[in-house]
Amino acid sequence: MTDIAIRTTGLSKSYSGTAALRNLDLTIDSGEIFGLLGHNGAGKTTTVNLLTTLLEPTAGSMQVVGVDTVADPNGVRRVIGYLPENVQFYDNLTTMENLRFFGRLSGLSQPDARIREVLDYLDFTGHDDQRVGSFSKGMRQRVGIAQAILHEPSVLFLDEPTSGLDPEGVRQLRDVIVALNRDLGMTIFMNTHLLSEVTKTCTSIGILRQGELAYQASLAATLEAFPGEDSLEEIYLNIRSAPDS
Amino acid sequence: MTTVLTMARQELVALRRERLPLVLLIVFVVMVSVSSLIGWLTNTTVSNVWQKTVEAGLTQAPNPFTDVSALYYARNTVIYLVLIGALMAIVVGVTSAMRDRKARTLDLVLSRPISVPAYLLGKLVGIGAWLAMILALVAVISWTSISVITGAALGPGESARLVAFYAVAWLLLQAFVTLGLLSGIYSARETTALLVPISIWSVVAFVLPQIGTSANPVSLLNPVPSVIVPGGAFDTLNTVLSPLSVTEEFKTASGLILGNPEVTGSLPLSLFVIVLAFAVGAIVLLATNRDRIRGALRD
Amino acid sequence: MTSTLVIARKELLDLRRNRFLLAILGFVLVAVVISVVVSATQFGTKLDDYNTYLDALRAAGSTTTPAAPQLFPLQLLRGSIEYLEILGALFAIVMGYGTIAKEKQRATLQLIYSRPISRYSLAAGKLLALAVAWLIAVAVIFGAVTATVAIVGHATFAPIDVQRLLVAAATAWAYLLMWSALALGLASSARRLSTALIVALVLWLTVVLIIPQIGDTMDPDNQVPGGLFKSLQIAKPDEQAVLANFAGFDSVRNGLEVSSITKHYERFTFAVLGIKDQYNQQPLAAVWTGTWNNAVSMWLAALLAAAFAIFTTTRRKLLRRTT
Repeated sequence: MTDIAIRTTGLSKSYSGTAALRNLDLTIDSGEIFGLLGHNGAGKTTTVNLLTTLLEPTAGSMQVVGVDTVADPNGVRRVIGYLPENVQFYDNLTTMENLRFFGRLSGLSQPDARIREVLDYLDFTGHDDQRVGSFSKGMRQRVGIAQAILHEPSVLFLDEPTSGLDPEGVRQLRDVIVALNRDLGMTIFMNTHLLSEVTKTCTSIGILRQGELAYQASLAATLEAFPGEDSLEEIYLNIRSAPDS
Repeated sequence: MTTVLTMARQELVALRRERLPLVLLIVFVVMVSVSSLIGWLTNTTVSNVWQKTVEAGLTQAPNPFTDVSALYYARNTVIYLVLIGALMAIVVGVTSAMRDRKARTLDLVLSRPISVPAYLLGKLVGIGAWLAMILALVAVISWTSISVITGAALGPGESARLVAFYAVAWLLLQAFVTLGLLSGIYSARETTALLVPISIWSVVAFVLPQIGTSANPVSLLNPVPSVIVPGGAFDTLNTVLSPLSVTEEFKTASGLILGNPEVTGSLPLSLFVIVLAFAVGAIVLLATNRDRIRGALRD
Repeated sequence: MTSTLVIARKELLDLRRNRFLLAILGFVLVAVVISVVVSATQFGTKLDDYNTYLDALRAAGSTTTPAAPQLFPLQLLRGSIEYLEILGALFAIVMGYGTIAKEKQRATLQLIYSRPISRYSLAAGKLLALAVAWLIAVAVIFGAVTATVAIVGHATFAPIDVQRLLVAAATAWAYLLMWSALALGLASSARRLSTALIVALVLWLTVVLIIPQIGDTMDPDNQVPGGLFKSLQIAKPDEQAVLANFAGFDSVRNGLEVSSITKHYERFTFAVLGIKDQYNQQPLAAVWTGTWNNAVSMWLAALLAAAFAIFTTTRRKLLRRTT
């Protein structure tokens, strides 16, 4: 098994002639918690959609745990979990019914025991037979994470996971992400705007600017490289507004 | 008044840009035009057959269209108004009510110094103006095509009847607009908002007349209102239910106004039912409160 | 379990829990039952009038016995079939459209397609669920109307009648599934959901209501007040000679009518159930000889609609950007 969880080479995506992503060269090691930052419209969600095989690239290549996403998309889908922004479920179905459905699609033939185990791990018990339609945003997020990790993926993709959560919800989510990485060795790829969370959670970061990768390094190296800046926010804004090299 | 006019103007702009009402409008105008063409085609065919029948000595009767009123050719428009016109009115009403909810601009509107009745009245006025323009266009198409078919321009009396017919049509369509607006306000989902008034329309157009006259649904797609089967329970049922079927009352009113000899009934009663349907719908609509209008949309 | 079956199973569960869908199916059920009750009551009224007339004849000393009105139970289903034709089609569109619309309006498409499912399993699963749902709905509807005919119409059914009902039910199932599949395909292939709904509604309006109504309008007998032959004072034996002059016009009219799949459904079902007098009490073989083209058109349309749904409900179409 490779030590590289995600590798993209010259990855590009255009929509009707407009480039959303240009020549993305990204390398993320196994076991990292990677935070992808960037302004609105920088291409963060496009990157996630490409890596989760929801989109096909216009140019370039991508491998997830060594599997080429274009040549073997189903192979990639077996080893990834994905939590989209503002995840929705089937409101008329219960937690168990929703998770059973997604678990089976991921290849779990008898998912019930695994579902209970995951819900217990996420501290979300007692809601098995409740319809998801009655859940709050935070509760849906828990179910969303549950569906993403049922099949024990190697890489977990989270698109703006803290969007709409209250401070307590953000903290709980952070604890879950860190635990998944620590306990299960899961590589985590996260799009986010919440720089304070990046500081507390991520081990490496990348910054997209107008569809191109403007910066990538470990968080520790980043903080060392900008000793004059007080926070990651200052560093980010500094990199964001730097002239193109 | 300013609120009403502002909302009415906004409604007209939106209706010009929205696709579903536009598509239904095109279908409606095309069907009315086609109806005239079919009328002309059938007139020509029947007249030719009459000529051949006379020459073959099989009849000595005059041309069957000799004593038929020129407005007879407008009668198929009645059913297109009941079918396409009513559905178009429902869709326009639902779309209008849903617009601010879907775009989440409702709070931007309601956080301004306007009253909810004025807001809703403005929508009704705007849609009413749009319908009036369409019906005016259709009236001109009808007038022109009938004049061409009959070979002579319609006289003042017949023209006035045609105008009266389309005025009554406007009242019928406005009744369905209020139904659509109410559904759009009260429904939590877009699909429900559209389907509930369509279901009500199908009850009014098919189920009630069937119970009252035993006519089957397809036969109700006829510009002439169904005749009741005399005797038994149908007399009583028809008396109770016929005022509730505003579409059948519209067929009666239209038939009487257009001088269709096959139609019998009371014009004042039919007009009363149609006006009442619109009035009740409008009153219930304008009584909607602020909390109701701000109801959350699911999906 | 294959992904197709997983998706179908979930879809059926979702449909069962959808109270609004259950309500509109309930509405169709009520409409078709009312229709049978009305038809049976009408027959009852006719029978009462006949008996009154007979009593009057006897009282006047007449020994003539005019033919009594005869009840053909399956003919009481005319209105019910017409309701399925008109309203059933509309609600089938809503169901088909809804199965895709709800996925597009949430992020559940991403959740599904980020999993290793086979290419056509989403479409096949949803179609399978719709097929099962309509099978159950048609069984309930036909069961209800048959029971109503038996109870209100005081009718009994011979084995041939049961066969006719099964054929009619199967044809109704194909007709309704066709509309659902068409709407499903439209919802998948349209960039915007509203476009799909517009196209589906306009198709329903045109195929189910307008074209059949135009066909009726073009009937010369409906164009002349009081009827054509009556106004021309044509003797009955000469009507055929007159009709021959309408051959060209009538073929245009018929051509227009058969462009509507609804007309094919109606013609075949009316023939099977003996609603059309020409086929009343005829063996099914004879009905088939006269209407096989309607049946084949109906089933072919259903297959084409299903194929359209399957081949347009693809990952690429469903996940493409709409802005």
